Amino acid sequence: MKKVIAMIKKIISLLCVVSIIVACSSSDDSNGGNTDNFDRTALLSNYADNIIVPALSDFQSKVSDLDVARANFINDINQSNLDLLSGAWLEAYRSWQYVAIYNIGIAETFTGNLNGFRVYFNVYPVSTSLIESAASGTDYDLNADAYFAAQGFPALDFLIHGIADSDTTPLDKFTTNVNFEGYVDYLTNVQSQINNRSTVILNNWQDTFRDEFVANTSSSATGAFSKIVNDYINYYERALRANKIGTPAGNFSAGQTFPDKVEAYYKNDVSKELALLGLDAVQKFFNGQSFDNSSTSVESLASYLDYLDSSQLKNDINAQFQVARQQIQSLNNSFSQQVIDDNTQMTQAYDALQAAVVLLKVDMASIFDVQIDFQDNDGD
Amino acid sequence: MNRIALSFLVLGALFTSCSSDDDNGSDGNQVQAPATFQFQRNGITTVDYNGQTTRIDMGEEFVTAIKDNSKTEAELDGMFTNTGNYFSTTVLNESTKNIRSKTAASSDYFSANTTVANAIKADFDSWIANQVTEVFPSWETTATAGNAGRLQENGGTYRYINSKGLEYNQAINKGLIGALMVDQILNNYLSTSVLDAGTNRADNDAEILAEGKNYTTMEHKWDEAFGYLYGTDDALAPMLNQDSFLNKYLSRVENDEDFAGIADAIYDAFKLGRAAIVAKNYTVRDQQAAIIREKISEIIGIRSVYYLQAGKLTLGTDNASAFHDLSEGFGFIYSLQFTRQPGTDEPYFTKTEIDAYIAELLEGNGFWDITSTTLDTMSDEIAARFNFTVAQAAPSN
Repeated sequence: MKKVIAMIKKIISLLCVVSIIVACSSSDDSNGGNTDNFDRTALLSNYADNIIVPALSDFQSKVSDLDVARANFINDINQSNLDLLSGAWLEAYRSWQYVAIYNIGIAETFTGNLNGFRVYFNVYPVSTSLIESAASGTDYDLNADAYFAAQGFPALDFLIHGIADSDTTPLDKFTTNVNFEGYVDYLTNVQSQINNRSTVILNNWQDTFRDEFVANTSSSATGAFSKIVNDYINYYERALRANKIGTPAGNFSAGQTFPDKVEAYYKNDVSKELALLGLDAVQKFFNGQSFDNSSTSVESLASYLDYLDSSQLKNDINAQFQVARQQIQSLNNSFSQQVIDDNTQMTQAYDALQAAVVLLKVDMASIFDVQIDFQDNDGD
Repeated sequence: MNRIALSFLVLGALFTSCSSDDDNGSDGNQVQAPATFQFQRNGITTVDYNGQTTRIDMGEEFVTAIKDNSKTEAELDGMFTNTGNYFSTTVLNESTKNIRSKTAASSDYFSANTTVANAIKADFDSWIANQVTEVFPSWETTATAGNAGRLQENGGTYRYINSKGLEYNQAINKGLIGALMVDQILNNYLSTSVLDAGTNRADNDAEILAEGKNYTTMEHKWDEAFGYLYGTDDALAPMLNQDSFLNKYLSRVENDEDFAGIADAIYDAFKLGRAAIVAKNYTVRDQQAAIIREKISEIIGIRSVYYLQAGKLTLGTDNASAFHDLSEGFGFIYSLQFTRQPGTDEPYFTKTEIDAYIAELLEGNGFWDITSTTLDTMSDEIAARFNFTVAQAAPSN
């Protein structure tokens, strides 16, 4: 009995010491953020060097190819060159799915819009009336908020694959349409905007921001970790879950469906592929898998969860991503067609994605002690 | 052993002495139960649930219109969705609120279950449509097994039923109690997923008010839960039976002597929980939410059994009366899938179980074919999940 008591006393003493440390230690606790000894530098440099910058470089190179295809097309306007332009557009659009998360560094300064720098690359549905009006001579400014919906990949999608008012083929815009010169100019201006902004972002990372990002190991809301986690969840919730699936499926419109609000509507048969790439980018980021798929075990959200004794949550998140992937894979290549044929399958895909929102935004964010800096306002 | 106890005391003291002033959210804060649901900041009320009152008002006009055979499906759909200005007042017509969007729409049950939510909304849509296409055209015809029409109770009242004996207006009215009121209260506004969403807790701790408002967002969420029960009642001294929805059936259950006291228990939990939010004591808050979840779920369980038993009393002798009771029971049973077992993320009955009950009630010619044995078995199964007996819930005579 005495032995037991002695042992209990020992344990209690130990508890006291621990509790004093816990209770009295950190004064910066109230700022939020974990104050554990996890190697944030390793995590941030993995993200910067093996994932983000390689993805941005790839994107930059695909955008260059796209620009070449555009120049060739303008130089010799015919269907064959338009097809080549379409191919280059799709390549760049695929690559875009791997950079769309990263509204950080100079990209973050582009706009205060909740969708971040994505507004200059991928707002859809595209406003064809703005484009047609611009082609006909109305002044336009692609840097103005009103033109978010008339540029980037969705605008190119319309220019390459869509049919303008009173035309019969996509190519007519650039040949027989009375405003064909306006369309050619608009195509070039949209491309310039993509070129410029993607170059600025990549240069910023390569010149200064990579080091800034990796060095910013603070656990506060302005620390790189907190910011990238917020960007990540924001992308997942808005760009992937809501824009790619939820909006066309009527999840935000009392069930009214919108076959025309899918990504790449005018090309139409790639919305599933782009969504799957978006999900792939999300899951690879979570597990810290390098852009070129070479690295295996490096620090990531997943390994950080392991470190914080939350491997179960890590597994749940990966499992839920897998459920969502399977749901999406079962959909029609064209989400427009899927929404028309059987929208229930679309909402099932949405539900599978949504189930991971709770895991990421509530459970994971709370374990990391990361304050979510954006909020959905659906109350009344 | 005394020394161990002493050590614990020391340990406790250490915790207390070291915990700084950011300790507000933990168990320690005393919460005084206020006399009424009155809360103010700087002398101005912080309570606002006009959106809930609006939806109850819309619901009243809607469930009345459902019984009016001069209405078209477009008008009824328009009232369900608040499109087309079919309400009697411009206040309702111009409101941004509507009932349908909040039907099967709670954060906990449906945010990642929109496929099921769509199916539930579609149930209501189809009940509306069927009322117009099946029942309205047979308004003057006597109903028979397999044929829609009307049946007269011994007391003289006509009941308008479908081919299976079901009154769609009852399915809609009682179904909404679950799908709208109960679901929004128990699985949305009293949920930590809503109360503690985003920065709500930090904002409430720091008394950061919602933009342009006199309340914190967390306070407001709690009040919106309150509003779905008391939105047309006197918040300071509830009279009960002030609407055709949850408030009415709380009154019915309260007036059954087996359950007297439930109204006070619910009201007390609402006001203590709200006071706990003001005191930043989230433990007490969540304890009250658990009480409300249990008691409100019980209302649905009790009324389900009540109507099954009531229907049994007149089945075969006064079918109009029996089918009316069973139609109300049908709606309450449908509502069971929106209940919430405290301490869990689960309803007392899953959707699958409810779908099976609904199928059983409507099998063959539905109420025309149903037996007392079926009603008793169902009553037993429902009561067994709750803390009441079939005898307690059943009509007293």
